[in-house]
Amino acid sequence: MIAFWILALLMIASAVFTVTAKQPVHSVVGLLVNFIALAATYLTLQAEFLAVMQIVVYSGAILILFVFVIALLSSGTKPFNVGPDRAPRILIPAVIAAVLALAGITVAALRTPVTVVQATSTNGTTGDANAFGSVANFGAALFTTHLLPFEITAFILMVSVIGVVLIAGDEGPAGLSRRKPKRNIQREPILK
Amino acid sequence: MLLYLVWLLPLIGAVVLWAFGPQLKSWAGPVGSALVGVSFAATLVLWNEATAPHGLHVGLVSWLAGWDFGLQLDRLSLIWTLVITGVGFLIHVYSIGYMHGDRAFARFFAYMNFFVFAMLTLVLSDNVVGLLVGWGLVGLASYFLIGFWFYKPTAVSAARKAFVMNVVGDVAILFSIFLIVSRIGAIGYDRIFAQTPPPAFGAHELFLICLGLFIGCAAKSAQVPLHTWLPDAMEGPTPVSALIHAATMVTAGVYLIARFAPLWSASPDAQELTGVIGALTAISGAILGCAQWDIKRILAYSTMSQIGYMIMGVGVGAYGSGVFHFLTHAFFKAQLFLGAGIVIHALADEQDVRRMGGLRKMLPFAFVAMLTGVLAICGVPGFSGFFSKDAVVYGALETGHPWLYAIGVITAGITAYYMFRLLFVTFFGAYRGNVDPSDLGIRHPELAGTAATSSSSGHHPEEEEPHRHARSWLMSGPVAVLILPTIFIGWLDAGGNAPWKRYFEGFFPPAHAFAANGAYVPPISETLSTALVFAVVVAGFAVAYLRYGASPALRDAIARLRTETVRMPGVLANAYYFDAAYEALFVRPAYALGRWFYRVADPHGIDAGVREVAVSAQWLGHLFRSFQTGLVRAYALTIAVGVVCFVAYYAFAFTGAAR
Amino acid sequence: MTVAPENYVALSAVLFFIGVVGVIARRNPLIMLMSIELLFNASNLALVTYARAWVNNVGHIFAFLVITVAAAEAAIALAIVVVTFRSRRFVDVDEVSALKG
Repeated sequence: MIAFWILALLMIASAVFTVTAKQPVHSVVGLLVNFIALAATYLTLQAEFLAVMQIVVYSGAILILFVFVIALLSSGTKPFNVGPDRAPRILIPAVIAAVLALAGITVAALRTPVTVVQATSTNGTTGDANAFGSVANFGAALFTTHLLPFEITAFILMVSVIGVVLIAGDEGPAGLSRRKPKRNIQREPILK
Repeated sequence: MLLYLVWLLPLIGAVVLWAFGPQLKSWAGPVGSALVGVSFAATLVLWNEATAPHGLHVGLVSWLAGWDFGLQLDRLSLIWTLVITGVGFLIHVYSIGYMHGDRAFARFFAYMNFFVFAMLTLVLSDNVVGLLVGWGLVGLASYFLIGFWFYKPTAVSAARKAFVMNVVGDVAILFSIFLIVSRIGAIGYDRIFAQTPPPAFGAHELFLICLGLFIGCAAKSAQVPLHTWLPDAMEGPTPVSALIHAATMVTAGVYLIARFAPLWSASPDAQELTGVIGALTAISGAILGCAQWDIKRILAYSTMSQIGYMIMGVGVGAYGSGVFHFLTHAFFKAQLFLGAGIVIHALADEQDVRRMGGLRKMLPFAFVAMLTGVLAICGVPGFSGFFSKDAVVYGALETGHPWLYAIGVITAGITAYYMFRLLFVTFFGAYRGNVDPSDLGIRHPELAGTAATSSSSGHHPEEEEPHRHARSWLMSGPVAVLILPTIFIGWLDAGGNAPWKRYFEGFFPPAHAFAANGAYVPPISETLSTALVFAVVVAGFAVAYLRYGASPALRDAIARLRTETVRMPGVLANAYYFDAAYEALFVRPAYALGRWFYRVADPHGIDAGVREVAVSAQWLGHLFRSFQTGLVRAYALTIAVGVVCFVAYYAFAFTGAAR
Repeated sequence: MTVAPENYVALSAVLFFIGVVGVIARRNPLIMLMSIELLFNASNLALVTYARAWVNNVGHIFAFLVITVAAAEAAIALAIVVVTFRSRRFVDVDEVSALKG
């Protein structure tokens, strides 16, 4: 219980830091802390596999991608946030909307009482297929009952990979140059 | 079977002449005439069958129960068929001469044959729908033929006027047919007249039916107030005027009333209306005839007046007399027109009687023809008009309409006046064709009532000096043939047991089916009435003689004609301002309405509606465009608002619903 | 489960709130994207919470799918950022408004 509150405070603080940081790199650090705390929270909810996935995929892959991009973009150029703010007062409705959403979610959560069901094994072992949240349990469900969504997700990932190559690659399909030669800036290609 | 032939031969002629006119060349006229002649001969062959008690009846098509289409030749339609084909044949032959050299020679005969076919459809049909089809087709044929010289703007507008006014009548007849069919459930005459009076109708319905039919008659037969197209219709070639606008088509109204005699006899109101309108037409047409200078217009107004007599006759219930007047009129009026056609043809399309005069010596045959026609129309004893007109006028008295009788008698005097005026001005005195028109008071040809004073508008554009060219036997022959019935056909009705009276014995219903006023005893006998009419006619002749025929009048004819032209009352010169009234009542409001739609309703109503739809679509587009700021954060905000709504829905709508 | 699920959900809502504000208020696309990741994680937290509360691992499955799709989304979004930066020389979402109506 104490763990939850510590984690909660940590997550909120890191999230606020992420959003308010001047430098994207700082944001990434805040987000990293947030993700790790979230993974720990997952553990308290008996989602061991998801906790691992959280660290591997989010912290290990996505955040590293962010870091790469930041490194790529800041090399030899000015800092970000140039140009005028074209919607200066957008923060006000944003906060109002977010507060409303917060209040709505809280109200909805409080007004729908949840009867907590006791899991079969509170200290799930990863190899036990009957233990809730264990890898075996998760994997069995993923590859039997929910196989189709899983395959579709795989397909989406493939499409996104192709899309990324097409969007950010130096050359388009069939070797056509996607940019005007004049604007060819001396820089390494992102993907090679 | 022969009846089909009678009916279809003119149609075949029309189609053949229309399709192969250019190939037939000058044979078009003889072919068209011959087909009508064969039709006439076939009708004669059918005489005995037609005069049988129920006539000759052949079927054509059965459509629905009660909707049987067929042909019927009974005693009434026999008269009309004989006149249509017989007089039609003579006029066709005459046209070969009259229309010789016209560039649309074959087209003319195709139209004429088509008209004969349409008229036969009208009279031979055994049902009201077929009658209406024929009714409309003759209007169409009339339109074609009035506008035959379509390069003359006056002819085109006259044709349009005739067609439009006829359609007014067609619509009225259509409504009558609706009423009949809605009550009887059948269109055949045999079903409609199965019982007399038809028990299916109330008195008001009966009157409405008769009213609708009579409006049709008034439009077709040029009765007041739908008569204004007939004088204008004289823009057509003269044979057309003779055949359509004198002998046959304009008398279709008489046929219609005679055909629907059982309904008229059962509706005293309809009889009253028809008789009054007929008398009114007779006298107003006669008065207008006194004020015209165009030879064909004089004859047109006299036609209108004579049809007024017929309508009055059949309207008040003297059906036999009315039909008899139609028969005699068909001959003498055709002859008058054909005689006038000879004059017009000889003078190179000169139609203004003021520029004629003295033609008695130049055109003796035309003079004789016109003279017999005039004597007949005036009702000089022994000539055909004498018998029929007296019968009609006395019929009005017999059926209890003394006022209509009085009008009829007076009209007879006026008729004598204007017909002899025509005769004297045209054929007596000295030739005035070489007098300066302004000396005769002719300042504006269209104001003076002469529509075709320009010789270039005729059908001899290639001939420069066609004056008094010889008439061919093709033109004089038919006229000579017509002289015989003009004089003698009236004797059919002479005496108490005349053939004519026996012919229609038991055919027509009694004048009053309800016999409301019992037996009306006329105050004067028929002999006395005849004498009275003749006295009035003589008076009319005397006035005409003194004004136009006496030697002092002939000596200074030019000055007198000039004075009369200048002093002509505007109300007569403008035909009671009927055209002006229609102009003010219908044409101008229609134009105003059109202008209103053009200037107000269309741009501010319809267009504005369309425009507003477009503008509002544009406005909506602008509205939605303002959402598309291009700012990603604004899009995110809208998404957030959406999330708020979504959450709010679950927060408040689904309370306690889960688990 | 010693802590009531409402608390977890409330935490998830707070994280979501912070994420929404971040997406709307910041103009740096990278930080916006990170805020979006925050949103994903907040919703994932709610999913996992209810999965635990009802002992039903469909929530886990769904959270897993969210993570994968988030990875794909992040890859594409970062690619777009890189391309935009290449052509515009700076990174500011307000400047990327070619879709303005």
